Amino acid sequence: MKNFIVGAIAAIGVTFVGTLVYLGLGLAPVGADAKPPAWEGGLMYSTVHASVRRRAPKMQSPLPPTNETVIAGGKLYMDDCGGCHGPPGGPATKYPTTFYPQVPQFPSVGTQYSEAEVFWVAKHGIRRTGMFPQGSDYTDAELWSLSAFITRIKNLSPGVLQGIQRQSK
Amino acid sequence: MKNFIFGFLTIIAVLAIGSLGYLRLGLAEVQADVTAPVWESQLAQLAVKAAVRRSVARVQDPMLPTDENLIAAGKLYLNVCAGCHGKPGKARGNPVGYPPPPQFFQAGTKLSEPELCWIVKHGIRNTGMSAYGPFYTDEKMWSLAAFVKRMNNLPPTVLEGIQTKNP
Repeated sequence: MKNFIVGAIAAIGVTFVGTLVYLGLGLAPVGADAKPPAWEGGLMYSTVHASVRRRAPKMQSPLPPTNETVIAGGKLYMDDCGGCHGPPGGPATKYPTTFYPQVPQFPSVGTQYSEAEVFWVAKHGIRRTGMFPQGSDYTDAELWSLSAFITRIKNLSPGVLQGIQRQSK
Repeated sequence: MKNFIFGFLTIIAVLAIGSLGYLRLGLAEVQADVTAPVWESQLAQLAVKAAVRRSVARVQDPMLPTDENLIAAGKLYLNVCAGCHGKPGKARGNPVGYPPPPQFFQAGTKLSEPELCWIVKHGIRNTGMSAYGPFYTDEKMWSLAAFVKRMNNLPPTVLEGIQTKNP
């Protein structure tokens, strides 16, 4: 039993010191111009979604799901999100591959997040990614309209698409 | 000895399964609108600096930072970098992000020019700093590094030069 405990303490020590040495010697790769390996990307995405699911508000969007709501969100998206997340219908940008982890391209892949989850991410951001919090720049109502747009981005009616382009600056 | 190995392996398994469970259950904090604890940001900065130092070729800055170069780089900085890293005289009051982008006009930088150039080119993973290598020539990134390094000691002519619009 004594040896078991000594072994356990040794394992903790080796893990702790090993991590510090690995980081301190600069052995951890830091360049962002690489694609995360599948296991790492998968773990990151599932971790973030699990955490967001737990923290997103347990409510429906307070806005009516009308075309006006989606168009207002689309206009915000074009101004502030499309540069990294890709413009609907437009050519993909080069930016997604220059971030690590890479930026999800909503117009081509859509999103598995609910409206409340997209709202929460837009408001609070995702730490250790390029996703900055937008909560101090936009009202909750604006962010709800944005999430209405993003969750529908793969199924936009022609009227909505035209409305966004017409209203965009 | 058998018990020692058994204890060692048990802890390794507990750490691995515990970490996975912690992540998969959504217990890890992900929101970016809070300040990182000091130990975490210091450890991260230490790891980044050590890794960048290791990656950078031991070369001298190949470009003479003439006023002209610095002005061109300063204009590029104002267009592309200042949104996150701050403008001269009006640093972004409340740097957002986790980790927050360094505010060069307040704090300057301890990184060398080759290190700055490397970071601009390759970015830093798990931060908001993306790679700019696909968009700019090496020469441009070197002059940007020269500008950032000198940012808090710019001659007045350069400071004026970067504020004037191109004709």
